[in-house]
Amino acid sequence: MSGMEGKELRVVGFLCNWCSYGGADTAGVSRFKQPTDLRIIRVPCSGRVDPLFVVKAFMEGADGVLVSGCHPRDCHYAEGNFYARRRLEVLKRFLPFMGIEPDRFAYTWVSASEGARWQKVVTDFTAQVHALGPRRAFGEGAGSGGTG
Amino acid sequence: MDHVARSVKEQAVAVLANIKEAITRELEGLAFVIGWEEGYDPLHAAPFFVRSLADIERLIWNPLCVHNLTSYLPKLKGRKVGIICKGCDSRSIVQLLQEGLIKREELVIIGIPCRGVVDMARIKARVDCSQITDVSFTEKAIAIKTPDGRQEIPLDEVLATKCLSCQYPTPLVYDHLAGAAFSAQRPAAALYAEVEEIEKLDLKERLAHWEKELDRCIRCYACRNACPLCVCQDQCAAESRNPHWFSQRTGVNEKVMWQIMHALHLAGRCTDCGECERACPMDIPIQRIRRKLNKEIKELFEYEAGINPEDTPPLYTFKVEEPTIKEKEW
Amino acid sequence: MVSLKVLFLAEEKIPVLLKRLSKTSQVFAPVQVSDTVVVFQEFSNGAQVVFDKQASMPPKGVIFPQTEQFLSYTYAKDPENLTRSTVQLDHQVEAKPTLLFGARPCDVQGLAVFDAVFTQGQWQDPSVKARTDATTIVTLLCVKPEGTCFCTSVGGSPTATEGADLALTPVSGGYVAEAITEKGKTMLQDEAFTPAKDKQVKEAERVRAAVKKQDTLPLKQIEQKLIKLFSTEFWEQMSAPCISCGACTYVCPACYCFNITDEPAGMGGERIRTWDSCMFYQYTLEASGHNPRPTKAERYRNRIGHKFSYHPTNYKGQFGCSGCGRCIKACPVSLDIRQVLREATTHG
Repeated sequence: MSGMEGKELRVVGFLCNWCSYGGADTAGVSRFKQPTDLRIIRVPCSGRVDPLFVVKAFMEGADGVLVSGCHPRDCHYAEGNFYARRRLEVLKRFLPFMGIEPDRFAYTWVSASEGARWQKVVTDFTAQVHALGPRRAFGEGAGSGGTG
Repeated sequence: MDHVARSVKEQAVAVLANIKEAITRELEGLAFVIGWEEGYDPLHAAPFFVRSLADIERLIWNPLCVHNLTSYLPKLKGRKVGIICKGCDSRSIVQLLQEGLIKREELVIIGIPCRGVVDMARIKARVDCSQITDVSFTEKAIAIKTPDGRQEIPLDEVLATKCLSCQYPTPLVYDHLAGAAFSAQRPAAALYAEVEEIEKLDLKERLAHWEKELDRCIRCYACRNACPLCVCQDQCAAESRNPHWFSQRTGVNEKVMWQIMHALHLAGRCTDCGECERACPMDIPIQRIRRKLNKEIKELFEYEAGINPEDTPPLYTFKVEEPTIKEKEW
Repeated sequence: MVSLKVLFLAEEKIPVLLKRLSKTSQVFAPVQVSDTVVVFQEFSNGAQVVFDKQASMPPKGVIFPQTEQFLSYTYAKDPENLTRSTVQLDHQVEAKPTLLFGARPCDVQGLAVFDAVFTQGQWQDPSVKARTDATTIVTLLCVKPEGTCFCTSVGGSPTATEGADLALTPVSGGYVAEAITEKGKTMLQDEAFTPAKDKQVKEAERVRAAVKKQDTLPLKQIEQKLIKLFSTEFWEQMSAPCISCGACTYVCPACYCFNITDEPAGMGGERIRTWDSCMFYQYTLEASGHNPRPTKAERYRNRIGHKFSYHPTNYKGQFGCSGCGRCIKACPVSLDIRQVLREATTHG
């Protein structure tokens, strides 16, 4: 059941295999209700997430993108999320400069036991994206008309 | 060598004489020395490869020497070459050294403390450049002669944006310094003026701005190839089929994504030389995209690319506690 | 000129004329899109058309768009046998009536190169052919060539009308209009064209005769000279400043190389053709990983060789260059093709 009335939006989540994916699993096993907009892509570690994954998701039509990994200091691979934190913070500050609303992208840390926290993150983030509505692609509605 | 007392012209003549002298001494051990010569008309200089002593006479030095010659260096690894560089160019050399993409012992660097170079787009906006008959420089102005007459424009009005906030006019690394060193003469606060212009707009306006400007992009990749740090240009992710980052279509969506990809691949590496914007055949203001990333990285990690060869770029490392990263509470 | 009528088009009537014509055709005209850039764009109300500046991009996109769909494909499971997939192909050649207004003679000469390659002979490109057939060309004669122009060295001229349907010569207050073909004659029936006064006709003749002569390049026998000049050392020196960026090929009216890629999307996708550049490393990169032109020296030799030797040899002496000078202006390192040609003719 979708927590939102009306249409689902396309929200993509990059979840690290060990903590966040486990956390999502825990939420599921505990039968916590969440909006169903989120489509999860499992990665071995949040450090695997190239900031361009987030950008490509937007380019392919995502309305919101969430990245979630282990809490810093608890990375399954020791350091991956430290790199991720730096990269994703830079990305977060950069996207609005190009015209992508800041609320459409978020990164967070959710551990495998934090099922309730996962439910809250997904619910709040989905609501945040719904408040903005579907994202219009670059160039859509802006007539080009050039010969190129 | 009182640089204030001498006129601009005298200084330029002295610098050029120093350059020629240094090259005369060093040329024998080098494959060539890269500098500038006169281009196809009096308003353009062009990169020039000095291969023999006779070539030395063709070298020039003036505010038309806009090119960052260091972009040739990564492909020349393995050969001993000489290069003439301005303050901003030297930052590219430092960054390339930081990343191990060039070897210091393969370079003979002739550095020039520089007061600024012109932005051709700014000149084109004010002067009909279709037929230039003469260009000369006075103390603070550029004089351009065309069949329609002579126009004198204050240099500050046509200098490149990077020059108006230049903090490193004297090269940071060199083997010979062709003129008297001097420290920053321009206000650091001006550095992010163009970025702030965009940040003042609301999101809808920003989106409209980029859609309008990038609409005329022809995806020729001149911005990429002109960048000294884009050493993977021959295997560029933008043209990769596997992984297939994006299609070959030339819609605004793809063109914006290309700029974002380029800027993100340069995060923490861009030395703000402006070659990307200068090379663009459609005069699209793209330097500020990279500058925005530089601004964030400076704020977050107190790091500027291309200053110290011993530095580690901030995205190559991390801190267990990041005092500057305030994360969202859910 | 096959002109049977000489008429006058007032400057201020042009926006109204273009607006009227865009009801029945796609009208492309040079439009100012930023402080310093003019491009050929589909005319819309309020667009700032500019005729006294050379457009930064040639109008080749009108018959050869930068991105073009060849076909789209959709996969479906065969309901009779679920282990098999069927593929449905969809292919359309779309060519709306088009008017290209304000192309310079060098731009039109570039289109003649496309003609020779894509619409003549045994193998014709249906899309380029359809677009070419559907396009009417109004050429704007050049009375103030730029310092970078050299059309007279490659068989063109600032006042050439070959390939156009209607020719406009700038005079005071507007343009003297002359029909070159029947299509052009039909255009002249529009009410925006008024009978030309005698003094206007004379002014047009005077203006055409007074066009300043350009420097001539010594291109006699360049075809053979370039074949002999295969030495890599010469081309390493010529291409040393080049950064292989591809800007020159994209702004060239006569460059026609293309790439074909399949762009998948879920259970289908499309096959598209896009502009390619011989300056890119990937241009001759083979699937094995081998690249016969691994450095810019070989690629630059190929570019010059193609335009001034191989293409003329294959196409009855037609140069693959119209002398518009855009490559010189667009090049980030100001590489001057005229200088290279001069060096090539005097070398050895």
